[in-house]
Amino acid sequence: MPSLQTRARVHVTTISDRCELAPGVVLLGLHAPDLGKAARPGQFLMAIPPSGAAAAVALGIYEARADRASILFFVCGKRTSELSTLRVGDTLACSGPLGNGFDLSANPRDVAIVAGGAGIASALLPAEALIAAGARVRLYYGARTQALLVDAQRFADAGCELHAATDDGSAGRRGYITELLEQAQDRPDMVLACGPTPMLRAVADVARRFGIRAQLSLEETFACGVGGCWGCVVPLTAESAQAPNFPREDRGGSDVVFARVCKEGPVFWADELRW
Amino acid sequence: MGQETVDLSVQLGSLTLAYPTLMGSGCYGSGQEFAPFVDLSRIGGIVLKSVTRQPRLGNPTPRLVHTPSGMLNAIGLQNPGIDFYLEHDVATFADRPCTMIGSVAGFSIDDYAYVCERLAARREIAAVELNISCPNVASEGETFACDPRLTARVVGAARATTDKPLIVKLSPNVTDIAAIARQAQDAGADALAVVNTVRGMAIDVQTWQPRLGNVTGGLSGPAIRPIALLAVYEVARAVTIPIVGQGGIESVSDALEFFLAGASAIGIGTANFIDPRIPERIVDGLAAYLRQRNLHSIREIVGRANVGFANAHQYEGDED
Ligand SMILES: Cc1cc2nc3c(=O)[nH]c(=O)nc-3n(C[C@H](O)[C@H](O)[C@H](O)COP(=O)(O)OP(=O)(O)OC[C@H]3O[C@@H](n4cnc5c(N)ncnc54)[C@H](O)[C@@H]3O)c2cc1C
Ligand SMILES: Cc1cc2nc3c(=O)[nH]c(=O)nc-3n(C[C@H](O)[C@H](O)[C@H](O)COP(=O)(O)O)c2cc1C
Ligand code: FES
Repeated sequence: MPSLQTRARVHVTTISDRCELAPGVVLLGLHAPDLGKAARPGQFLMAIPPSGAAAAVALGIYEARADRASILFFVCGKRTSELSTLRVGDTLACSGPLGNGFDLSANPRDVAIVAGGAGIASALLPAEALIAAGARVRLYYGARTQALLVDAQRFADAGCELHAATDDGSAGRRGYITELLEQAQDRPDMVLACGPTPMLRAVADVARRFGIRAQLSLEETFACGVGGCWGCVVPLTAESAQAPNFPREDRGGSDVVFARVCKEGPVFWADELRW
Repeated sequence: MGQETVDLSVQLGSLTLAYPTLMGSGCYGSGQEFAPFVDLSRIGGIVLKSVTRQPRLGNPTPRLVHTPSGMLNAIGLQNPGIDFYLEHDVATFADRPCTMIGSVAGFSIDDYAYVCERLAARREIAAVELNISCPNVASEGETFACDPRLTARVVGAARATTDKPLIVKLSPNVTDIAAIARQAQDAGADALAVVNTVRGMAIDVQTWQPRLGNVTGGLSGPAIRPIALLAVYEVARAVTIPIVGQGGIESVSDALEFFLAGASAIGIGTANFIDPRIPERIVDGLAAYLRQRNLHSIREIVGRANVGFANAHQYEGDED
């Protein structure tokens, strides 16, 4: 996995556009000279609530162009509520881009991207990068209901094959998106996934049964978001290239170490997680 | 900004800090993590993450919960142990443009003395903080800071190992913090960090599970600011050594409260999780405040909270 974090800094951005994609789902365009240029697929930023009344919040980088990046979030608590009140022209400071991002270096030719809920925010950049490199990309997109399958057309326009599932059957198949993936006739050669933890665990299972590797973008509660507090960890095999430095002989027989989701991740190989 | 006209430097024993702001232990890694977002040369120093004699994998997850006006953490002192730390990490601290302060945690008096001696021997480390107040490790961790006798013994043992400035970090989870502060001073502490986190917990009402893997944790952030401020005030009246006040400091006015209560320097932990620019803003704000009032040094306001009237009122209270 790549781990360069060289161009991270505090970007003071201006909201360039705002769109409510569905009730409680907001897309904010951020005008910033070089945030978009610096971002790699799967990276995130820490958005600083302008009131200063709560910790910065981790959000995936949805779109990235030269002078515009965007964030897409589901309003679910104090901080996303505050961000949802921002209007065009307002200022939003963000630290980033952060984290490792997806590893596309193996040049996969046929990729399934599985996204659930807010995970869709981390799915567009890898989809675009893979399509630009000539790969076939299928998006397996799951949500509670049709209205929350936000911005699906955007992925179709980018050249993804769409497969959808909703909990209530209002669009696509009724049920879990991972069931749809499992039924794929021709198996992809790699899976990328971002979404809630139960979905990621199910993706890991399917990938194992398929005998292909999966990269999972994890969601954890963050404090610093930059690797300074060791609060956001996940158990990882000590053999992983992403395992942080830790004396081998002193792990008390355990082959597991804790890695920081915000620093070594947020993307990990499913077969290296010990969760 | 004409900052030259005011002096923000402070003294903790023989340690001089160019700015009175220390980044709280465990909140700031080794500084490198935050370097892209702040000018490290404009903070006083970094208190490094606590290190122990043996490596520690740390607590099970989840380790963090956001709470109203603060957060709970139960990291459990994850660290690679002093041997590995000295070999791999400490050398990288040499090029930081601010003061680097080591932090030592342990489970016995011998542990503290051993780790303190080895750490203090390194020139990259300007001073040592004894974390005798971590609430997140099974039983022993916090007992040192909760018992005046044990405080005296552990500080005395660490003191004997080094001439470097020794800061002792106290717990707010005690009945009489002033008594413990006096013991630490008498046993040879050069300064006191007041305070570590306040014990707390949170439960998920859907699953009935505690929201921390460790069940209990340490509360930090603005929720504990008045508790921390009172602790600084009480300790300042009990000792003559300098105090690093901390607990929920997020703004210039928060910082000023702590100086006025008797802190010579301040610690900033959780506020870095809101906005990494806060420490620099506080330094700028302190300079502006002093200039506005024609003061020359931050040292002029330390402990100057005017409590004369309140005290007089107390003594004359019978007359009402
Ligand atoms: C790397 C990364 C990338 C992310 N990218 C995105 C993204 O692009 N878009 C997006 O929408 N989200 C994203 N998230 C998730 C987002 O950061 C969190 O949902 C964040 O907590 C929202 O902050 P908040 O203050 O609005 O909500 P919070 O108050 O933190 O609440 C978050 C969730 O926890 C629940 N909760 C809160 N308090 C309690 C309680 N006391 N008991 C039980 N449940 C509780 C809430 O109902 C809510 O569902 C990402 C997370 C990570 C780690
Ligand atoms: C995530 C986290 C980790 C911490 N780890 C340590 C630690 O290893 N050693 C220590 O002495 N204090 C530790 N602390 C306590 C802080 O250094 C500080 O004393 C406390 O949080 C109060 O200040 P604040 O409200 O500004 O954060 C930690 C605090 C947090 C939030
Ligand atoms: S959130 Fe602090 S290390 Fe990841």
